[in-house]
Amino acid sequence: MQQQETDLALITAVLNGNTAVYSELVKRHERFVFTLALRFTKNREDAEEVAQDCFVKAYRALGTFRQTSKFSTWLYAITYTSAMTALRKKRLTTISLDDEEYTVQPVNSGSAHEADAIEKKSAYVYLNQAIDSLLPDDAAIITLFYKGEQSLEEIGKALFMEPNTVKVKLHRARTRLKEKLQYLLKDEVKELI
Amino acid sequence: MKTIEEQIWDYIDDNLTIEEKKAIAAKIASDQTYRTLYQELLAVNLHLGKLEIDMPPMAFNRKVMDLVGQEIAPVSLKTKVDLRIIYAVAGFFILTLSAILIYAISQTHFTASAINVPDISIDFSRYLTPLFIKIFLFTDLLIGFIYLDGFLRRKKI
Repeated sequence: MQQQETDLALITAVLNGNTAVYSELVKRHERFVFTLALRFTKNREDAEEVAQDCFVKAYRALGTFRQTSKFSTWLYAITYTSAMTALRKKRLTTISLDDEEYTVQPVNSGSAHEADAIEKKSAYVYLNQAIDSLLPDDAAIITLFYKGEQSLEEIGKALFMEPNTVKVKLHRARTRLKEKLQYLLKDEVKELI
Repeated sequence: MKTIEEQIWDYIDDNLTIEEKKAIAAKIASDQTYRTLYQELLAVNLHLGKLEIDMPPMAFNRKVMDLVGQEIAPVSLKTKVDLRIIYAVAGFFILTLSAILIYAISQTHFTASAINVPDISIDFSRYLTPLFIKIFLFTDLLIGFIYLDGFLRRKKI
């Protein structure tokens, strides 16, 4: 709530002419906007472009921001439309979940050297690979749900979907992630049991 | 009908009523299938909770502020819409419509003998000069452009 109030205070300051304060808003949300853009574009250069575009669009439209929802939700909606526009322009091929090329396959050989190398890789790398292999919408929903502190309704607003659709997609994404992370989670599940 | 996995995800996400929650908790405690799946999904959930967000390049903020510097400073929508303009436009249309209405009435010849209509015939041809019509159309055009400008600005987002 404090964050929400501070965001609103910064927006008011910008609208009152103190435009330099916008830098603080960018700093506060840049990591998440960039990550969200990355979920759609799948590469850092395009994600940076989308994130920049998003912040410029948000700045232009700041006067129209209805302060009834979170600023972050509004910003993520702009990120989503910017990313979709960029994807359409670049005609990026979306990565299919069934595309074997992108599935996470941590172990495919019995060699000791490879096994050691895999062990050295952090679980986060696998997790990110697994998320990258999801459909852009699903990857964005996972990110918004787990790291964006957004409810299903808010995610729906940001991605222009019904909350029920978000829920179905979230479930589908988690099921796919569970399959992909099976190897990684095998030991942890045993520990939990 | 929800699958077991959906039920357990709802349980983990706390999307259930108290009764439903109790029912799922009981099943997890008593049913091996539920318990195993619960442990698996809990592990997935824990991992997803540890998800890290990416960092944009160092100069990102500066680049954004450079781009933003080239833009017109935003103002609140309330500031943008000046009520006086709205009242002026409304006044203009009310006057125009009233003039047309009075003209129409004055040109009508009531035949009912019971109604005593005073003679209010006004010679509008004196006022409806080509100059007046040009001014009228130009004002309409101007209002149209103002509206179009506002509409396009909104569409730009």
